[in-house]
Amino acid sequence: MKRLPHLFRSPEAIAGALILALLAAMALAAPLLFPGDPQAIAGPALLPPFQDWSLPLGTDRLGRDVLAELFHGARTSLAVGLAAAAAALLIGALVGTLAGFAGGLVDEVLMRITDAFQTVPSFLLALAFVSIVGPSLGVVVAAIALSAWTGPARVARAEVLSIRERDYVAGARVIGMHPLEIAFREVLPNALPPVLALSSVIVAAAILTEAALSFLGLGDPNRVTWGGMIAEGRTVLRTAPFLSIVPGVALVLTVLGVYLAGEGVVESTAMRRSLS
Amino acid sequence: MTRALVLLRRRLVGSVFVLLIVVIGSFLLLEAAPGDAVDAYIVSTGGDAGMIELLRHRWGLDQSELTRLANYLWALLHLDLGQSVTFSRPIREIILERLPTTLILMGSATALSFGLGSALGIYAGARPGSFRDRFLSIGSLALYAVPGFWLGLVLIVVFAVDLRWLPIGGIETIASGKTGFSRAADIAVHLALPVSALGFIYLALYLRMMRAGMAEAWRQDFVLAARARGLPRQRIVLAHVARNALLPLVTMLGLQSAQMLGGSVVIESVFAVPGLGRLAQEAVAGRDTPLLLGIILVSSVLVIVINLAVDLAYAFLDPRVGAGEASA
Amino acid sequence: MPELTISRRGLLAGSALLLASTALPTIGFAQTPKKGGRLVLAADSEPRNLNPAIVASNGVFFISSKIVETLAEASFDGKDGLQPRLALSWEGAADGLSVTFKLRDGIKWHDGMPFTSADVAFSALQIWKPLQNLGRTVFKDLAAVDTPDELTAIFKFAKPTPFQLIRNALPALSSVVPKHLYEVGKIEENPANNAPVGTGPFKFAEYKAGQYYRLTRNDAYWGKDEPYLDEIVYQVLPDRTSAAAALEAEEIQLAAFSAVPLADLDRISKVPGLKVITKGYEGLTYQLVVEINHRRKELADLKVRQAIAHAIDKDFVVKTVFLGYAATATGPVPKNDPQFYTAEVPTYPFDVAKANALLDEAGYKRADDGKRFALKLLPAPYFNETKQFGDYLRQALAAIGIDAQIVNNDSAAHIKAVYTDHAFDLAVGPPVFRGDPAISTTILVQSGIPDGVPFSNQGGYKNADLDALIVKASETLDTSARTGLYKEFQKKVATDLPLINVAEWSFISVARDTVGNIANNPRWAVSNWADTYLES
Repeated sequence: MKRLPHLFRSPEAIAGALILALLAAMALAAPLLFPGDPQAIAGPALLPPFQDWSLPLGTDRLGRDVLAELFHGARTSLAVGLAAAAAALLIGALVGTLAGFAGGLVDEVLMRITDAFQTVPSFLLALAFVSIVGPSLGVVVAAIALSAWTGPARVARAEVLSIRERDYVAGARVIGMHPLEIAFREVLPNALPPVLALSSVIVAAAILTEAALSFLGLGDPNRVTWGGMIAEGRTVLRTAPFLSIVPGVALVLTVLGVYLAGEGVVESTAMRRSLS
Repeated sequence: MTRALVLLRRRLVGSVFVLLIVVIGSFLLLEAAPGDAVDAYIVSTGGDAGMIELLRHRWGLDQSELTRLANYLWALLHLDLGQSVTFSRPIREIILERLPTTLILMGSATALSFGLGSALGIYAGARPGSFRDRFLSIGSLALYAVPGFWLGLVLIVVFAVDLRWLPIGGIETIASGKTGFSRAADIAVHLALPVSALGFIYLALYLRMMRAGMAEAWRQDFVLAARARGLPRQRIVLAHVARNALLPLVTMLGLQSAQMLGGSVVIESVFAVPGLGRLAQEAVAGRDTPLLLGIILVSSVLVIVINLAVDLAYAFLDPRVGAGEASA
Repeated sequence: MPELTISRRGLLAGSALLLASTALPTIGFAQTPKKGGRLVLAADSEPRNLNPAIVASNGVFFISSKIVETLAEASFDGKDGLQPRLALSWEGAADGLSVTFKLRDGIKWHDGMPFTSADVAFSALQIWKPLQNLGRTVFKDLAAVDTPDELTAIFKFAKPTPFQLIRNALPALSSVVPKHLYEVGKIEENPANNAPVGTGPFKFAEYKAGQYYRLTRNDAYWGKDEPYLDEIVYQVLPDRTSAAAALEAEEIQLAAFSAVPLADLDRISKVPGLKVITKGYEGLTYQLVVEINHRRKELADLKVRQAIAHAIDKDFVVKTVFLGYAATATGPVPKNDPQFYTAEVPTYPFDVAKANALLDEAGYKRADDGKRFALKLLPAPYFNETKQFGDYLRQALAAIGIDAQIVNNDSAAHIKAVYTDHAFDLAVGPPVFRGDPAISTTILVQSGIPDGVPFSNQGGYKNADLDALIVKASETLDTSARTGLYKEFQKKVATDLPLINVAEWSFISVARDTVGNIANNPRWAVSNWADTYLES
């Protein structure tokens, strides 16, 4: 509990944390407040918001409840963001640790592969990948992770390079630990914090990438995502602007919240480090 | 300058491997795609089995994957990117036609986000923690959080449809016969909205980096010394604080270039800009594997060249950078 | 915003009227056409091959029909729904073995060479029959084209071919290209495929990829005083929302083929200076069809197919997905077809209880979670409406305990999945009715079609009776007997449900008030626009 005061030092971080808390609450409450399929047709099509209190935010092109979609969309958007970030961090940490710890040819090969991934525009890669494998939530997550793991890999490698010559690593070598064991039990945990600091950026980018893929018609049609809602709403942008504004605002707030909270965490850890 | 040459050589050797990985990786990925160029083509025409066979043969799609990869790499050695199946034209020609548009779009958007971003960053960072600092920082973040296509659509509705200040899209007035300066002005007018949409999104990166760098710089000894000497605040901000904070932004330029290229895919489609990004989307939709490979390859070369230029500039600006670490 | 509700209701009523009026002849324009001007319009795709003799599709016609003409064009009031273009008359022999075309005199190609019967013979034998996507079926028995003089072309068939079919095929399948340009080299690689040369009112001027196509006036056109326009420019606007914006910003004057989304029409019809036109597409009817994979044992059961048909609220689909700009379908021939349509077929009114009962009867009881079985549903990605109907169908099936999972693909992957790999249970497709069931409709239910043929029966459906009927109709020469057989065909399809026809729709144009002579034939958007004009 001691880190909380640090975390809430700045009003931005508080705002970010509040947004995320609200979002998490929405995601958790979605199945309770709106049981059943959020894509079920609930009323007349294109009902504007605040007309019918059983459908407070109105309905979309097919008459689906926008509020229910918004809540369920919070679930998927968060899930996409978190899963993609987790996958990217995992791949990145593994590759970075291996490269940094093994050095030599392994390092060279892995880093050239990382370079290759970094030179291909990530959205182009995600676009090609999804259109080839077919749009489903898992594929979208994989596509985003595929284009986001290079950052963590580089950071992890740099950290590992600085850690591997330290005393406790040398000690582990002396007692005859297997190199892989050293890499993943001794080095990786210590290299992890700066890698994790990238997570907020990746989560935010993942949510935005999912939205852009949906815009191009490459979202999962069986799940509600905010990106998908905006994409569908844009064909009636002028007639029923609320259909894209509502999920759009939710998306902007979420990405903002993720950033602000992420920064708060990074700053507070930096503060603690400089204090200690 | 020898240091720069060493850096250049190391980078070039590395780049060849990187490009090879990119080409082979992309080729294998695209080969795994369900449906080929014939399937994509037949959507708009229909046709019987004999006709489909005829097309596959004519477009060389009945050869084995390995043969086609080998052919492709062999042609690549001669700087031949092959023939596009959907355009039935040489790919090099098509890409060269579209490349300038994307370069102008990216260049202008980068200049906008870098210029405005660092300026606002200086303004915000001059008084860390002040209201304007917080406002700019959060405001730019909010822009960064807006999906690019959505920003583009809103800009179109406001500035092209309602106010009618700017055209809704395209690169220049259709078949206008304009030349020279008036054509350049025409293109500038047409690109104003897409450049803004793309540039404003990435504004936050530069602004916040500048701001963070300045916050760091304020704590540095030489700034403290300058303040102790009683130099005017404005002069400290510009000559000492901002100058030191600017250097990391230059690296950002290189890192950003790939992201910008990706972002232009969506922006070019919203604003009907005939650039590389939209071409890529068409190539994906048309299963035009050689064309998409060509685009990916050219984008990669572009990113590599930009990063190399940035590194050289950096080495030039900051003598502390050794040639050795730049390749990592 | 109560006004919105009222106006939407008003719109629905209005569009129903418009649909009812599609069979009526066109309204004449009292104004005298003006000469000159550049018409700028939206194009959402960029066909690379602009040769309509090879690629007979609406995307290609949209541009090239102004450059390359056909023997005849569709007409609201002409005999057999046709009006002369390059041919002045057409006569079928009683034995079905020949058709004689008399050609118009004094026509010149854009390069100045004279147009003769040799061009027709060359196009038919060297292009339509061997290379054209649709002609390969319709002209498969074409053996020779005799040219006794420069203005007569006699098509000789190896087997009796119904004259009605040839006649119905003329507007879409009979684009004539110049022999003198195509007889050298490979036809598929001819440069004229990308820069077409024809006899039409407009000449191909330039194409800037990703930007525009430009056509200019053909001063030597055979039509008196025609064409009126100096130039036609197709501005490429790939994003579907930008056509409406471009119209409002007065950057374009016309958006055809529903480039303006249906949901935006109500609003845009109120913008001063813009008009919404629902006519001019009667000959280009698209059908909303649920394709069924009969290899799935549940779907091979007629009761299940009937249940699905009863579960679909066609009126809701027309009202909500198409916002009233469509008609409900009864069978494989659209209601607005003047020759073949019959309403005397079994129908499947929306009845969820009956659908559930049918499924129970078939032995597919609901499990504890309320679900009977799961299906893979593949909506075709080419239209917003097919995708939206896919979303609706998923919900409609959920109501009768069928759990449908939607698989979204892009066009290439969809074609491969449905027509080659058969990796679907249900698919939503938009086949086109081209004025005669033999052109592209019977193929949707006929058996024995090789794998991989798009827009054909790839659902493994096999019905010997129906196959025999299709073969018989294709050999029947007498027009009324042939028509009778196709009515029988509709009845059989609606009874056995090899696929489910849900709705029929055409497109909408939005234009500035200044554009005149719009929608004056049933294929207007893909006709030659010789008489289209701009006021001031």
